[in-house]
Amino acid sequence: MFMSPSLLVMLALMVFPLLTSIWLSMQYMTFRNINAPEFVGLANYLEVFDDRKFWQAFTFTMTFIAIAVPAQISVGFLIAVLLDQVSSRIRGIYIAAFLMPFIVVPVVGTLMVKQLFESGGIVAWAYRALLGSRFIFTEQSVKSLILLHSLWAATPFPLIVFFAGLQTLPDELIEASMIDGATRLRQVRHIMIPHLRSLFVFVGLISIMDAYRVFDSVFVLTEQNPIYKAEVMMLYTFRTAMSVQRLGKANAMSVITVVMILVVLVPFLLRTYKEQTEER
Amino acid sequence: MRRIENRYALMVIYALLTIYAFFSVIPFFWTTIQSFKTPRQANSRVPLFIFEPTADNYTDLWLKSIPDDPLLVAAALVAIFGFLAFLGMQAGRFPFPRGYVYLGILAVGFAVLWSIPGFIRTQTFYDYFLNTIIVTVGAICISISIGCLAGYALARYSGIAGVIILVTALGFRSLPGMAYILPYWWFGQRSGLYDTHILLIITLVAINQPFTIWMLRSFFMNIPKEIEESAMVDGANRLTAFLSVIIPIMWPGIISTALFTLLLAYSDFLLVRILTQSNWTLTVAISKYAAGEDPGHITLAAAAAVSAAVPIIIVVFIFQSQLVKGLTSGAVKG
Repeated sequence: MFMSPSLLVMLALMVFPLLTSIWLSMQYMTFRNINAPEFVGLANYLEVFDDRKFWQAFTFTMTFIAIAVPAQISVGFLIAVLLDQVSSRIRGIYIAAFLMPFIVVPVVGTLMVKQLFESGGIVAWAYRALLGSRFIFTEQSVKSLILLHSLWAATPFPLIVFFAGLQTLPDELIEASMIDGATRLRQVRHIMIPHLRSLFVFVGLISIMDAYRVFDSVFVLTEQNPIYKAEVMMLYTFRTAMSVQRLGKANAMSVITVVMILVVLVPFLLRTYKEQTEER
Repeated sequence: MRRIENRYALMVIYALLTIYAFFSVIPFFWTTIQSFKTPRQANSRVPLFIFEPTADNYTDLWLKSIPDDPLLVAAALVAIFGFLAFLGMQAGRFPFPRGYVYLGILAVGFAVLWSIPGFIRTQTFYDYFLNTIIVTVGAICISISIGCLAGYALARYSGIAGVIILVTALGFRSLPGMAYILPYWWFGQRSGLYDTHILLIITLVAINQPFTIWMLRSFFMNIPKEIEESAMVDGANRLTAFLSVIIPIMWPGIISTALFTLLLAYSDFLLVRILTQSNWTLTVAISKYAAGEDPGHITLAAAAAVSAAVPIIIVVFIFQSQLVKGLTSGAVKG
């Protein structure tokens, strides 16, 4: 009984729209015939599978995940281990600084990172001073910027989770290993990493899903040069729906992206399910 | 003997941490500097750190024309909001419950914010700011009230169905938002709700609901069952026991969850971008400044970014302990 308002909202606004999305993906629909879409079956899907730009966006999304997620996790882990060594009084200041990119609105954060690279920006200046050429927004540089921004914006999450996880590591374990003559590196390898194993899985899955649906930063960074090659799948879907006005096709793309993410999502959900039933 | 005591090793650690901290904050630092420059200074070949600051970017962004006596207006606004903040800090001293004091302060504060365009000529940026307040406050109120009921039920009910609901909700939350937003757009177009606050609020509530019930449930689970049971022995039914006994001790959890809902609603870009045409929130409004041809766009973009970041930084600063509590407790539990 207590559940009903919440369940109702979720059914009406999450389950039902997903089904609507599948239905819409089988219609030919533009802004002109919203009220009378034309049923075309699976034609939209065939068109998407044939769309070179879609596959470019797919490749870039996968490359992005393959580079960004390991980078975020390893930098986050490294900083968490280092932070663990510092006296707790100083930690607060560092944590405040580290969390800044995480708390600020993604669009604002992206604009701020972009400011560094604008003409007259401090990094653009350093770039020119060191390399002798001007920093310009090209396909390659925008792609690197998207990666750099994701490292800046998304690392705080693994960092803070790993750091909190390290606080639950009993001191005795470390001390015992010291007596056995273990070096610091071996401690990290044989005590800290096994201790955090389940958190690595958790953070990894969440980071992959977040990287998969990255939109805001790519939107802001490609605004200046809409080179389609630097688009991720979400952005291409967005442009297909809002600029090209092919709503049926865009819905087909979003159905395809949902099906693709199930590869990661299903293990994640199974894991959560097992944990919750055990906890019960 | 957990920590490294070698002095040189420690120095390296501090150096690395400081470099990373610098990497984290430099965009904030630089953007703030840029926002106080003239376009000419901002575009200079060598970055300027010493210059005569100007507030022109901010006044251009927020105001159509500067009022006749800007100092008087600014002083009046600072006095009003300072007084409200002071009242908020002294809320415990009034002869009636704190809740009424906070509600009264919020009502007066909103009334002042909404009456400002009556005597100062503000830009549309200010309207976007007001939109943001409506949408975030609306989303928080609805989301927390229905989320509390659901979170409480899920915390007390231990059947398998509860777990299935929770996990399914999490699954829906983890899907790319685009899958819902395009149908919302279509629904908005057909029902005529497109470009209204109501559509934004209910869709934001729906999208944030899984997260809200997960978080509130974990807070409710920390409250022992005996508390409401003893109230129910005294003759209260479950709903009254919930409202009069459980909710009052849940405030820290509710504030923590509300804070995360605020961050989510405030920073949502895709949903607001697709579902509105002119009733933008700040987040969508500032993305307009991402690109531009005229040399002034850099400083204006900087001022817009700082303006949108400041409210959230103030909120986070006030509630930082709740935020860190929510972040770490939720995360470590998995």
